[in-house]
Amino acid sequence: MVIDDLVNQSGEWLKGTGPESDVVVSSRVRLARNLNRYPFVVSANKSVLREIEQFVRGKFGELAGTPDLHYFPMQDLDTLQRHLLIERHLVSREHAVEEGNRAVALTEDETTSIMINEEDHLRLQVIRSGLQLEQAWEEINTLDTRLEKVFHYAFHSRFGYLTCCPTNVGTGLRLSVLVHLPAAVMSKQMEKVLQSLQRLNYSVRGLFGEGTSPVGDFFQVSNQITLGKVESEIVRDLNRVIPEVLKFERSWRQKLLEQERGKLEDKVWRAYGILTTARQISSEETMEMLSALRLGSHLEIIRGIPPKVLNELFILTQPAHLQKIAGRTLEPVERDGVRAEFIRKHVPSV
Amino acid sequence: MICEKCKKSHATVHLTELVNKEKREAHLCQECANSSGVNIKFTFSVSDILGNIMEPKATKGSKETSKLKCSHCGFGYSQFKSKARLGCSQDYEVFQEGLVPLLEKIHGSTQHVGKVPQSADTEIRKENELVRLKRDLTTMVKSENFEKAAEIRDRIKTLELELGTPG
Repeated sequence: MVIDDLVNQSGEWLKGTGPESDVVVSSRVRLARNLNRYPFVVSANKSVLREIEQFVRGKFGELAGTPDLHYFPMQDLDTLQRHLLIERHLVSREHAVEEGNRAVALTEDETTSIMINEEDHLRLQVIRSGLQLEQAWEEINTLDTRLEKVFHYAFHSRFGYLTCCPTNVGTGLRLSVLVHLPAAVMSKQMEKVLQSLQRLNYSVRGLFGEGTSPVGDFFQVSNQITLGKVESEIVRDLNRVIPEVLKFERSWRQKLLEQERGKLEDKVWRAYGILTTARQISSEETMEMLSALRLGSHLEIIRGIPPKVLNELFILTQPAHLQKIAGRTLEPVERDGVRAEFIRKHVPSV
Repeated sequence: MICEKCKKSHATVHLTELVNKEKREAHLCQECANSSGVNIKFTFSVSDILGNIMEPKATKGSKETSKLKCSHCGFGYSQFKSKARLGCSQDYEVFQEGLVPLLEKIHGSTQHVGKVPQSADTEIRKENELVRLKRDLTTMVKSENFEKAAEIRDRIKTLELELGTPG
């Protein structure tokens, strides 16, 4: 497996073929694990981190079963390759940016990634298209059990799987559902959605992680509680909450169609206009425009743009992907021009 | 509700302040809230939550607690408090006293009931199964599923015998 080749394929979750994909982009399940025999990453010096990485690398060689996991020490990847991984949601920004003695293991179809020496020794992740929390949980649970055969995890009878940060301890399970809520935003209902979810102990974040402001009306809903519940309960609970959010978003979309069709159509077609004719466009504006097109496509205001094309554009117009495709490093201003050209070429005429 | 400050716009920011057990409320519109320096972040970050929880408490044992240090990784209590991180597995024992209330606040619980690794020794596996069963028993009784509750109770008795713990 070659990281550079990733630009030529669509990760499973990108294909946009999962359930409820008109609102749910992806479901992500993450498990945090530490090895019994080593201190946690935060207190480990360089040589200990090196030892941990090498130990884990050796163990991955002994791993039986499927699917195949391809191991990449982060220091073997150049900046562009690391950013490709961030943009495809396979590693966190911290993991790509920090100094050596870190690694990542991936499956070819990009559904599974394991970060080695991020905040915890092992961070397992499975992403699936649409709302597929149960399936993603089954997969990650199987992976965890498989890894258990070669790793001795740090575990405590009372506190469960031990993690560096107390917010992850216990099950170490973090679920995130990425949802698209343009109607909620347009109808000024986002505050309500936010408050209801927070009251139920779910956190809501903008696209691309902690502390960013929401771009393109995409939101990540995650559980905050990881201790005191059984894993399947945590999955089941979020799986019951998301459909409520979907119901609201869909009803607001319908309402907008009925009561403000003109406004909606204008928003969608303007986005189409900009994307097909602009000569320079930033990532952020691209997200906003694609977000409007995505809505328009699902509401059939605009036809002839397959979800897969839109989803791919979200990723391929990101800085590292753009540069990989262009075959050279691009300064930000040049990038905006290359991006606009790429989009003009790839948005189908309708 | 109208904004208390400008008395014109709709109040969407509702602040409740607890000062010495006294509750003070303010209801403002977004603009007045911003101009008053109230920073409404769209999302909470982990350190926001933990930062508030990690406030020093004047407890009886606080002097001794602050001297705590893990012999394995060298983490001291102050590092635990300031970084809101643990340095190694041992820290969970070493800083247990400060950890338990923190976990209670974050998760509403301090007992793991979920998956147990295969590598955990048999006793731990049984202890955790016991915790899970007791929880299930309460659920079954609440939902009046007495047949299932009886099954669970039998399993609990067996486990307790195996572990040598009192009933």
